[in-house]
Amino acid sequence: MQVQYPKQRFSDKFLLLDMLEGLKTTLKELFKPKVTVRYPEERMEPTERFRGMFRFSYDRCIACKLCAVACPIDIIYIDVHDETIEEGGKKKKVKVLDRYDIDVKRCMFCALCEEACPTKPKSIWLTTKTYELASYDRNDLYFNAQQLEYWDDRPKYTGLPEAEETPKPKLISGGVQ
Amino acid sequence: MNKALLTWLVWPLVKFLVAFVIVQAIVAAMNWVERRLLGLMQARLGPNRVGPKGLLQIIADPVKFLLKEDIVPASAEKVAYFLGPILPLIPAFIVFCLIPFGPPPTFTVTRVNVGLLLILALTSTAVYGIILGGWASNNKYSLMGGLRSAAQMVSYEVPFGLSIVGVLMICGSLDLVTIVRYQEANAWNFLPQIVACFIFLVSMNAENNRTPFDLPEAESELVAGYHTEYSAMKFAFFMLAEYSMMIVNCCLIVTLFFGGWTLGMFGMGLTTDVLLHKIPYGGLLAALIFFAKVMFFLLGYVWFRATFPRFRFDQLMDLGWKFMIPLALANIVVTGVFILIGQERLLYWIGIATIGAAAYFLFFARKPAPTRKVMHASPVSEAKV
Repeated sequence: MQVQYPKQRFSDKFLLLDMLEGLKTTLKELFKPKVTVRYPEERMEPTERFRGMFRFSYDRCIACKLCAVACPIDIIYIDVHDETIEEGGKKKKVKVLDRYDIDVKRCMFCALCEEACPTKPKSIWLTTKTYELASYDRNDLYFNAQQLEYWDDRPKYTGLPEAEETPKPKLISGGVQ
Repeated sequence: MNKALLTWLVWPLVKFLVAFVIVQAIVAAMNWVERRLLGLMQARLGPNRVGPKGLLQIIADPVKFLLKEDIVPASAEKVAYFLGPILPLIPAFIVFCLIPFGPPPTFTVTRVNVGLLLILALTSTAVYGIILGGWASNNKYSLMGGLRSAAQMVSYEVPFGLSIVGVLMICGSLDLVTIVRYQEANAWNFLPQIVACFIFLVSMNAENNRTPFDLPEAESELVAGYHTEYSAMKFAFFMLAEYSMMIVNCCLIVTLFFGGWTLGMFGMGLTTDVLLHKIPYGGLLAALIFFAKVMFFLLGYVWFRATFPRFRFDQLMDLGWKFMIPLALANIVVTGVFILIGQERLLYWIGIATIGAAAYFLFFARKPAPTRKVMHASPVSEAKV
């Protein structure tokens, strides 16, 4: 690519128009609305396809352990025991989930567990809109099955630890690009 | 009380203290105003966390300076190191005695008939503190900053002084009050002395080490320049001196080129007589007008800082010696010729024409933007084996 500069006019040189033009630009910039989001008070609402924190569904899970196998850092811990139940006179052996823990503090959110999950819809998925995972205690980031399913109840970081009422965040449309 | 004592000691002292307090308040406020305005011009918000709109930053910064540990380098030259921040502070404060903030005698501390010369002499001494501080820190970056500052201030003192000569020739006085009275009777000096006004504006920025010329404290090259080794209140003193000097220079440009405390040109509008005799509290209004003009130029400093990039050192020297000084000398000659042939009025029209032309080209006949031509890339040649 080649940039062709216009010929320098005498007036441009004599009256320092380029400098004045620069001053004009900065003055215009002064009055433009700023895009900064003042985080704890204002929050961005992620778009529909945003991949945030996990969500787990106990009901859908068939305890096949494929996610644990797929996990490249082995942070999904699953314990299963077999149970026989009677369904329509027939004896049926089913796997029952005892433990489904994810050590989220070590997770890199590669979503391979979601890819590996055979159920439809997925019983572990990442298309949630939560990105506020910070915690004061590292033990808070070890999630069991129930926590993974209902982490919405978790107290959210508001920027003011002693605040009694969580201020309603002002959502900004447009979302994260 | 003795009347002489009252007129010569008590009143000037009170007035000076009032001016001093107001100026220091402006300096403290400028800290916040500058950072905020600079932020807004750079598409960000600036400090807005402390208090409403970040206003308590004005208090938070001095408190931080006071509470921080005062570190003195072990190998520093102690006496000079302590003198460094104090020396530029003293002239910066004294100068406020000489500036007419409003119509005399109420709003001037002292009226000296060589006031301008005295101000020039005092402001020039500020560089000693910077050199001393830079040298005494025993740090090569500080020394470089100090040396740069010395070279820069000496270079720009010349066009700074020469640009004032044109004004003096027109007004025929070194007394700042007389210069303002002349301007209210005729026109503000920036019209007949438009070139001088431009030179003054540029050298004023260079004198204060402000951004297009902030080589002494160029943080990308010299850490922080001459005040690298200064912390806590000593650093704050340097800042205080710099910002006080900025206000002094703004007061000077307002007094010399923009009609001081008066409003309106060619003998119209709010002149001293109207202000003092026709309007209640007119003197105070005059001081407020002066204050408003000074604030405009202070914001101008920030505006320049947001707009222009820093010069290289040789470019800075070239601009000073090869452009500003010849231009200032030419301005003196031209002004002298016009005064000699008795056609001073023509100078006004030159100024008006220049401003008109700049406005015309800036708003109606803009320079076409550079065009980008996409060159077709030559087909990738087969790799020769």
